[in-house]
Amino acid sequence: MKFSERMNKLKTGKFFGRLYGIILLASIAFAFWGVFMLLTPGNFGTPRHLYFYLQSSIIFSVGACGFYFIVVMGLFDFSIGANVVLSSIVGVILSRQYGYAGLLFGCIACGTAIGFLNGFLYIKLKIPSMIVTIGLLLIYESIASFAAQGQKQSLPPALQGFGRAPGNMILAFTAFMLAGLIIRYTKIGTYCYAIGSNEYVAKNMGINVNKYKLYGFMLLHFFVGIMAVLSVSYGTSMTAITGMGSMARNFTPLMGCFFGLAFKKYGSPIIAIVVGGFIIAIIFNGFIAMGAPTTIQNVVTGAALLAIVALTLKHEKGAIVK
Amino acid sequence: MANPILEAVRVSKSFGITRAVKDVSLSFGEGEIRGLIGENGSGKSTFVSMLCGIHSIDSGKFILNGEEMKVRNQVEANRRGVSIIVQEMGTLSGLTVTENIFLGNEDGFVRFGIKNTAAMNREASRLLEKYGFGHINATSMTDHYNFEDRKLIEIVKATYFGPRIVVIDETTTALSQSGREALFKHMKRLREEGNTVIFISHDLLEVIERTDSITVLRDGVLIDTVKSSEVGEDDLKRLMVGRELGSHYYRTDYDRPVPDDVVLSVKNLSVPGEIEDVSFELRKGEILGFGGLSNCGIHELGKAVFAASYGRTGKVTLGDGTEINSIRAAIKNGLAYASKDRDNESLVYGASIRDNICLPSIGDLAVKGILWNKKLNRFADKNARMMSVKMTGINQPVSALSGGNKQKVALARWLGKDSDIIVLDGPTRGIDVKVKADIYALMSELKSRGKSIIMISEEIQELLGMSDRILVMKNGRINGEITRSRNLCEEDLIAKMI
Repeated sequence: MKFSERMNKLKTGKFFGRLYGIILLASIAFAFWGVFMLLTPGNFGTPRHLYFYLQSSIIFSVGACGFYFIVVMGLFDFSIGANVVLSSIVGVILSRQYGYAGLLFGCIACGTAIGFLNGFLYIKLKIPSMIVTIGLLLIYESIASFAAQGQKQSLPPALQGFGRAPGNMILAFTAFMLAGLIIRYTKIGTYCYAIGSNEYVAKNMGINVNKYKLYGFMLLHFFVGIMAVLSVSYGTSMTAITGMGSMARNFTPLMGCFFGLAFKKYGSPIIAIVVGGFIIAIIFNGFIAMGAPTTIQNVVTGAALLAIVALTLKHEKGAIVK
Repeated sequence: MANPILEAVRVSKSFGITRAVKDVSLSFGEGEIRGLIGENGSGKSTFVSMLCGIHSIDSGKFILNGEEMKVRNQVEANRRGVSIIVQEMGTLSGLTVTENIFLGNEDGFVRFGIKNTAAMNREASRLLEKYGFGHINATSMTDHYNFEDRKLIEIVKATYFGPRIVVIDETTTALSQSGREALFKHMKRLREEGNTVIFISHDLLEVIERTDSITVLRDGVLIDTVKSSEVGEDDLKRLMVGRELGSHYYRTDYDRPVPDDVVLSVKNLSVPGEIEDVSFELRKGEILGFGGLSNCGIHELGKAVFAASYGRTGKVTLGDGTEINSIRAAIKNGLAYASKDRDNESLVYGASIRDNICLPSIGDLAVKGILWNKKLNRFADKNARMMSVKMTGINQPVSALSGGNKQKVALARWLGKDSDIIVLDGPTRGIDVKVKADIYALMSELKSRGKSIIMISEEIQELLGMSDRILVMKNGRINGEITRSRNLCEEDLIAKMI
């Protein structure tokens, strides 16, 4: 066996494959950290800074875990940002009466209900998920604006425990473990992959494709609900925005999700999502530390999205991309 | 016949206006291997697809063990004891071997909604060992395995749960000799255990050798069921086609020399990991055969000549010195290529017969940049009729055609283009004897018109019967050359392949 074949076999093996994936991710994170450390010494990358980056990145990584369920099925959802805004506002309103229970229930139940609606309408209307969710994002933004009555919705200081350690860490890492469990140890995970691979064959294997697509949307927005808890707790308030202003919130989870897709072959998509989210946070904060203006940061966001997707979705030579 | 275990009672199925299966009534005995044969489009696959829940039944019924079978998908059919190994890829990428084997049947390993993946992997490994496919790792992604290994995984998937009826639909063409032997061993085992195997294949000798009885379908109608021990290949051909096939199945000329004019010259052609340093010349009016074992590089060679390979090095030049460095240049200079993978690489699956035939000739058919429907229709109709494509009309989607007719459409487009050099990869793969005969006749006619053909094939008889010269490839290199002769036999070719 040639050396390259031997290496390839090792890389795709169960134990070494996972280890290889983790080492690769850690190396990427280390490389970016090193570059920004050199460019902005003292202003970036100290252990305290890194802990701060991790805390901000886990918010998006939770959403990325949810995104993973539908992206592997070949579907898409543009309404994540709108859901974060709406669910946060619902959570804040309920928290005033029911405390933490209201915050958690309001965000997660509202998020999941939105997922149900997205999935249901996608299945019943039989139009591409991208179009359905763009239409719905406009509706959710308007509902959020109506619910907030034009006011900034602030979370009471006594209920901001999920905005700082250890509350945010516990909630986020519980969500990561739950996502990992569903992907690896339930039929839902297997069927999401099967539907993404060949829907027709999956159907012939007795899989109720529509049911599992609906589950996929609900799971996505369940995790977006958790993301809403973390977001509103971290930022302490939420303001409704309209005119597709919430769209920007989609992209960071999406980038994290693509890290998961790229490292799926090493058997560790959730770890890749979490570390990938952390790498994205290092890049953003690195630019902030360099004093780059917001416009430059937006350029970086766009470029990073394209670069990550292009690098992670490595197609075979000659493969057709639409 | 042994006790009937399965009966089809006046089963019918139509797709649009095409009646694929018409009132077929059949019985299958316990402990029997039944061959099911017929031309492409005769209704074999549709019949078994209805049995396995892949297609719904329009009218009639299947009775299994005295009870009517009503199934909506393969898993329901599995639960009733019926399974199928399909013609196409039946395993899913992105899943592990274990997940593929148990897909849709995970419930036995699930407690409180959580899958016991360790137990699933253990069971899958045990099954793979038991079947003699120990080289396949249950925990690996299916994507890491080639088409043949994925077929072996399908064999496990289709039979591990002890089904009473197993359908094997045109699977052997995807398998090497050892893979075929493994499949035949399991067919035998299933029969010995009192189960029934329905075996579909275009290889009539294989069908005669491996089955107890053979049912013939033609145009969706049941023709006859005969005992395998009492029929020969010609009897089956006659039943399938409805008349005696002409004796000129392959070429019969042996002494006609090929002109010396070189129309294509290939020098030091290499594609990383596929072919290495291949050089040859093709002459005017020559049928140049390329043969070898699976993965020997013959298929990649066809692509490389047509400039459809990536990372290709070396030179492909026409007789006039024109270099072929892109697909556009190849088509523009009269080079045509029909891929072995008809559905994915040769035909535009969602388009009509007309559009498929017109596609490479669009530039020639346009009048000052405008495409006139009338002209396109006339062009497509003429070429489809020349190839005797069995169709309702040129606007019929190509996806609705049988394998043989799809191949005819793929060839019709190059006929229309009037290409001088045609690369045919697996020209008769998965095609019945009638269409095979048509394609061989077409090749002979093209040869007589001075067209040159590179025929890539894994069928030894085809290579011997049709080629003026045969280049045998091994490990990506040319390993020998054989010139057409009456005295050639299979062993001569096999000796160079191995």
